[in-house]
Formats: sequence, C-alpha cells, structure tokens
Amino acid sequence: MERAWILGRPATLDAAVAEAGKLIAASTNVLIAGLGTDVAGARAAIALAQRTGAVVDHMYSEAVLRNLDVMRSSGVLMTTPTECHARADTLLLVGPLRGAARDQLLRHVIGNGPAKQSASRRIIWLCPGRDLLPLAETMAAMPVGREIGDLPVLLATLRAQVADRPIAKTSTASKMLHQVAANLKETRFGTAIWSGAELDPLVIEMLCGLVDDLNATTRFSSLPLAPDADAIGVMHVCGWMTGFPMRTSFGRGFSQHDPWLFDGHRLVASGEVDCVVWISAYGHEAPPWRKAPPTIALTAQEVAFDLPAQVHITVGTPGIDHSAVQYFAATGTLAAFEATRPSETISVAAAIERIAAATPERGAQ
Amino acid sequence: MLTHIAGGRIIDPANQRDAQGDVWIRDGRIVDAPNAGADATYDATGKIVMAGAIDIHSHIAGWNVNTARLLLPEYHSAAIARPSEPLSRKGWPALETGRLYATMGFTTVVEPAVSPHYALHAHLELGDTPIIDKATLVVLGNDNYLLQLLHDNESDAAIEDYVAWTLDMSRSLGIKVVNAGGALAFKDNMRAFSFDDVVPAYGVTSRRIVKALQGAVNRLGVPHPLHVHCNNLGLAGNFETALTTIAAAEELPLHLTHLQFYGYGKEGERKFSSAAPQLAEAVNGKTNVTIDVGQVMFGQTVTISADVLRQFNARTHARPKKWLILDGDANGAGIVPYDYRRKDFYNAVQWATGLELFLLINDSWRVFFTTDHPNGAPFTSYPDIFALLMSRDLRARWIAELPPEAMAVTTLPSITREYSLYEIATMTRAAPAKLLGLTERGHLGKGAVADVVVYDDLSDRAQMFRAAALVFKDGDLVVRDGRVVNDRWGRALAVSPKRDRAINRRMKDYYEERYGLSDEFLKVPDYALQRPEPFEFVLCR
Repeated sequence: MERAWILGRPATLDAAVAEAGKLIAASTNVLIAGLGTDVAGARAAIALAQRTGAVVDHMYSEAVLRNLDVMRSSGVLMTTPTECHARADTLLLVGPLRGAARDQLLRHVIGNGPAKQSASRRIIWLCPGRDLLPLAETMAAMPVGREIGDLPVLLATLRAQVADRPIAKTSTASKMLHQVAANLKETRFGTAIWSGAELDPLVIEMLCGLVDDLNATTRFSSLPLAPDADAIGVMHVCGWMTGFPMRTSFGRGFSQHDPWLFDGHRLVASGEVDCVVWISAYGHEAPPWRKAPPTIALTAQEVAFDLPAQVHITVGTPGIDHSAVQYFAATGTLAAFEATRPSETISVAAAIERIAAATPERGAQ
Repeated sequence: MLTHIAGGRIIDPANQRDAQGDVWIRDGRIVDAPNAGADATYDATGKIVMAGAIDIHSHIAGWNVNTARLLLPEYHSAAIARPSEPLSRKGWPALETGRLYATMGFTTVVEPAVSPHYALHAHLELGDTPIIDKATLVVLGNDNYLLQLLHDNESDAAIEDYVAWTLDMSRSLGIKVVNAGGALAFKDNMRAFSFDDVVPAYGVTSRRIVKALQGAVNRLGVPHPLHVHCNNLGLAGNFETALTTIAAAEELPLHLTHLQFYGYGKEGERKFSSAAPQLAEAVNGKTNVTIDVGQVMFGQTVTISADVLRQFNARTHARPKKWLILDGDANGAGIVPYDYRRKDFYNAVQWATGLELFLLINDSWRVFFTTDHPNGAPFTSYPDIFALLMSRDLRARWIAELPPEAMAVTTLPSITREYSLYEIATMTRAAPAKLLGLTERGHLGKGAVADVVVYDDLSDRAQMFRAAALVFKDGDLVVRDGRVVNDRWGRALAVSPKRDRAINRRMKDYYEERYGLSDEFLKVPDYALQRPEPFEFVLCR
C-alpha cells in the first residue's frame, strides 16, 4: 500500500496530495526534477509544469545533453543496440563505461549477440581506465591508451591516421594507433560505443567526426549508451510535448529550453526556485544537493531520502508495480512492459495527476 | 444532440454534389434532414461546406520526427527571438500539430513512415496529437525477415502472413516501402541503388521486393495499395526510375509517393530539368496508379526520411550544417535540415516540377495533395499551395520572381489550368478517403463521420484555407473563426487482415534467434496509449 508523510510524519495519501497542491500553489518558481519515471509519469509531470509555469529537468540530463549538443551542432551517424549486436563486426568502445551504460553494453550488445558474429567480432577499447582492464580482458577487447585524460589526443591522432594525415608523437605508440586505424578501415560495419556521462562534448564530437570519416570507404556507425532512470524515454516525451529535451521551462507561458538556465542543480544552488518536486520511481537516486527549498518527493520505496521533504509519497516502480511504457535498452525503443508484481502502490502519473487536481490553476497561459 | 449547418454551398464530390443546402449532424454522424428542430444551428449562407480534409502523407510523429525536433531547437518559436520561418512560427509539438491541422479543416492525417520497432513510439505521439484522427503506414522492404523469405523463394502465403502480422502488431493502416532494398544495400556499403540492383546479402532486387509487397497487400485486401517511395530520390535523370516503377505496377494498384522528388531530367546547361510532363503522361495513361506530389515551397525546413541511403548522400547539403543518420533495424532514418531558396536554380525547378504534376495530371481522383511534410515544405504552407493551384495569375507573379533559367527548363509558365473548389475537394477529401478505404470519411452523405468544415468564400484562397470558419470533428465543434475551441482526442485508424496464426510462433522464434529477445517489445497495447478509444479498425476488402 502507498505510504505518505508530511514533514516526516505518516499521513494519508489524500492529506499528502492536498499538502503538495497547497505548496505548489504557494510557490513562485517550481522545479520538477529527478524525473526518473516512465512515459505516463513524464507526461503528467510536463503537463503539471505547463500548468504551473515550472521547469522540468532530469537527474541524468547532463549525459543526455552532451550527446544532444553534438548532434544539434554537427553530424552524427547512429545505430540501434539490436542492429549493432546483429551486424557489427567491430566495436570501438570509448572511455570507461560504468553503471547503466556498462550494463546495457554487456547485457544487450555483447551478451546477446548471435554466436557467429561474436566469434569474429573485434573489440577495441580506447582508454578504458586502469580499473576496467580486467573487464576488457574478459571481453577479449584490445585496450588502447590508458586513462580518460589521454582520450582527446588519442582520438585526434586516430582520426588523423584514418584520414592518412601526418601526426606528431603521442603518449600512445603511433605504431599501435596506425594498426587501430587500419583495423577500423577494414571493418565492414563498425560501431563506436560510449557513455555521454563520461565524455566531454568535444571528445564526442571528435569521435562522431571519426565515424563520419570512416564512412568515406566503409560503414561505421555509433551507439551512445543510455543513462538510467528512463532518461531517454523522458527526453522523447519532452520532445513531442514541448519541442525540446529536458531543462525546459514554462515560466513564460510557453516552452523555453536552455541547458544552463534551467539546470536543476544551478536553480537549487542559486535559490531561484522555491519548491522542488523530486521524482525517482526507479529507486536509488536521491537529490544530489545538500540544501534544498521545500520539497515534494515521489520516490520508490527503497530510496534513502536524506533531505527533509515537506511531502513524501511512495510511488510504484514502472513495469513492476504497474504496467508502463519506458525506454528499452535492449532495442533502443520505447516499449510497453506489463507489471511483473502488480501492487496498489500509486504510480507517478496518478500521484501527479492528483496533485495537479489539488493545485489551483495559475500561470501566464 | 442535433446540429444544423444551414444554407452553405456544399461541395461533396463523393456524392457528385455542388449546390446550396443543409448538413445535419446527430451523434457524430451525418443524417438526413429530420423533422425535429436543431439543438444548434450555424448559418453557412455564402460560405463553402466540405467534409474534413484527409492528408495521406505527412511526417507528424515517431522517432524520426521527434529526433528532428531535438536536432533543431532553434526552429521552435520559443527558441528564436523573432520567429519568421514556418516551422518556428507554428511550433511543432504534437499538440500544435493537431491544432494547426484542425484550423485548416483537416480531420484525418496519415503518418507514412513508421518502422515496426518504433510503432509504439509513433502511436504515443499520435495519441498526444489532439482533435484529428490519425493513421500510420508501416515500412517494410529493408527488413531481414522479408528479404530472407524472398531469398528462400517462400510462398506468397508466407509473405502475406508476415505483412498481415506486421500491420497488426504495429496497428497500421497500410504498408509503405522506402527505397526497397537500398537501406540494406547501404549497410553492405553500396552507395547507389536502383530498381533492378541486387541487395548483396540476399540476392534480391528492389523490383522483386516491391512486386512481392504490392501483391501481398492486394491479396490481403488492405484497402490502401502499396505506398512506394522509389529509388534514386532527388537525382537528376531519376524520372526514369519513376517511369520504370510505374510500368512495373502492371495492372495492380500502386501508389507512388512524393513524385515531385522523382521528376527530374538532365536537360539544360546544368543538366537538371523538370521531367514532370513525361511523368504526368505516364500517370494519365495508367489508371491503377495513384500519386501524391510532395510539393516544395521556399523556406527553412527539415527533411525526415526512412531513405537512409539518400539522406546519407544528402547530408553534405544540410542547411544548416548538421544532420543525423540512423542505421536502424530495417530502414533506419536520416534527418537533414534544408532551406529551399527562391534564388537557387535547383530549388526553383523543384517548386515548378511539383506544380506541373498537379496541373498536368488530369484526374484529380489520382493525384494527391502533399508536401511530404516537412520534406518539401511544412504542412502549414498548404493554403498557399491551394491558392497557387487555383490561380494562374498568382503563379505568374511567383514565376516572375524566380530564376528565369530555372523556369526555362519547366513547362509551368505555359500552363493555364486552374483548380476549381470542386477539384480541391476531390483531391483533399473524396479521393483520399477512397484511396485509404475510409468509406465513412471524405464525404457528407448520410452515415458519414461528421467531420465537416465551413470556409468563408474569400477571394484570398490562402486565407480561406488557412483559417476555417467552423470545423466539426465527430460532430463536435472544434474550430471557430480559425481558432481551436475544443481539444478533443482522436483515434488511430488501423487494419487487421486475416492471417495464419502460425506466423506468431515463427516471428517469436525469429526475434529470439536474431536478437535474443522476445517480440513482446513490438506490441502497441491499448493501455499504453491512455486514451479512451485509441484505435478504430478499418475493414479489409
């Protein structure tokens, strides 16, 4: 059953919803953050933001926006996890791959690949980081370069090698890079794989440029691995509802996107928002800030929520407590998942719709 | 609830009607004049009354469209200081798409390029697109399963089962093929692909793929014929590809989409000219073939296509210089922004080629009104195109502003034909309903879905079509004086042809074998869409 608290004291769901509605109505600038939720939850959250002139941000916006920033300022060739594991004969892993990204890689790209491809598949790993060398070994991946700091120079050198341009001396043996460049060019269908959480946008841009260059003579594509907490699902919902990704505000009565201005961390740190709705339905993620304005928290049961929340409501986990549409890392698409352990715990969407109903209309629209 | 639209000029080509009269609506349907008095009466005296318009090909939803939004934040109204270009002025979230279409009197719109793996995504966006009803065409012809069937010389029945399964899983109204085999060939590093070229991995030609799908769609009784995006889009001399494809239709129905993009010859100094007359002649002589135009208009837009090979080759022409190419599970996609310029020779030829096709194809039941939104122009430019079709003087004024050397390689300046309102109504109402098998739409006869539009009869035809005086959707008033008054939710139209249930097991096994996955992720369950009535099924023949 749902559990709810007001100022740390157990309360009924009705009372918590009413208190949340009052709090939002009394606030000037609301930030809806975390946003770890399914498509229905994101739709409800964005609709609430539209109604109340709030800002929407996601806990993993940074990783999403690094990739998007490259896409929206240059050119990107992409593929899907399914096509990658069914077709790619070369995987070019770039930078350390940790957390959700590594999970996606191992489970869906490497682990699931048909045996015939896996056997002949070459894996090159640029700058995995010292601690991931054993993992590289278990994947039979060839590590090139060490720490992530070496990556900009290494990639630039590699790109020059691929284009047969002269290169200066680098920390990585040029003979080895020459070999890697040759390997990449003899690929039939290669895929560069990275996590936006770990790479600088300029590195990502260099990498995308390398991939494009490789297509002069062969086929190469790329697969940015997805962050956790349905970040890609939420990005898509933001896209079709507002025209923009997350870090979008409705404060002026229409949607406005600015990755710096509407960064949730910045808004909390600068005191520009006077109310936070924190959504984390997949567990584990609590707000990264130490001090926050009055907060309404909608979280999965397990979340250790350190900050005192004005209102705290336990919500169900999408796909477990209730059926849900969310990003599916195996396919790179939105997919519907029936509840695996259906429960009465309220969904994010239902909780927000009830809060919205308890929030008097206002705003510029 | 009984609604009476009184005294307008009713233009209803499906019922051969063009006369002053009344339209009566009860419970969302058109009814005969009743004895009872109306609950609401709208005076349409001096106005034009038509059925709601139907757009058969407009990229309004799905992964490709949404990624284009994310690629181009600067075209959104809120992102630029002074919105000036059509996309920015109109905005393009799902909500605005539905509202803007309704404002122009469109009540049904087909999203024509949904990859099976992204079907749920497309339907989620369509579900958030208000007022209008929607449908999708699902794309086959670069998918490994079909190519394997053809490679193995499997039976017609096996192909039909697969096509039927795909339509049902993706909740689509019809099948589209995009550069058949070209995307697969591109994955094997081919950079050009024509109708009789062979997909390396399968030894199958583009022609064979098109013919297999055309036959299967026809035998399954799916009302909409196979919707073909030909090979060699955009290339000089490609009218021959279109002619070859038209000839390959033989006697079965076939729809060629955005034909304008295949209307190019190699005449003139720049080896680029309009070949619209040759194409129009071929279409005029082949009554089982239908086409839509894909008209180009000038201004900033973005091209969104499942023709990944074409878009890859076009990426170097991106304006502004950014693009996304997806090597997807079957067709993939390419998103390349583009700015059609009046002063650009090639763009001016493209503009003229589209209008020539409209004006030289003489059967308005077989030429359909599209801009291939947003590829040729955003759908918000439709009213301006209606005006151009209806006035040779207006065309002459435009032509005078365009590069003379471009106009010299087209026949447009010599064409005097002007569309009548009756022909516009045929092309945008009666004919699309017939083409898609929507017997209850596109007309104002008894029993039709009460999608009714009232336009002011203005001499400024663009203004008239831009802002309808009244629009009724399922009998509900949704637009008044060009403004949306009711954001109701529409439905998605789909077919579910009969199939041998054994295909379900075969596809399950195929997904397990190729991807190590259950095929469950392809499903588009009603619950996922969170709308009261997400789908309406259209009967197969």
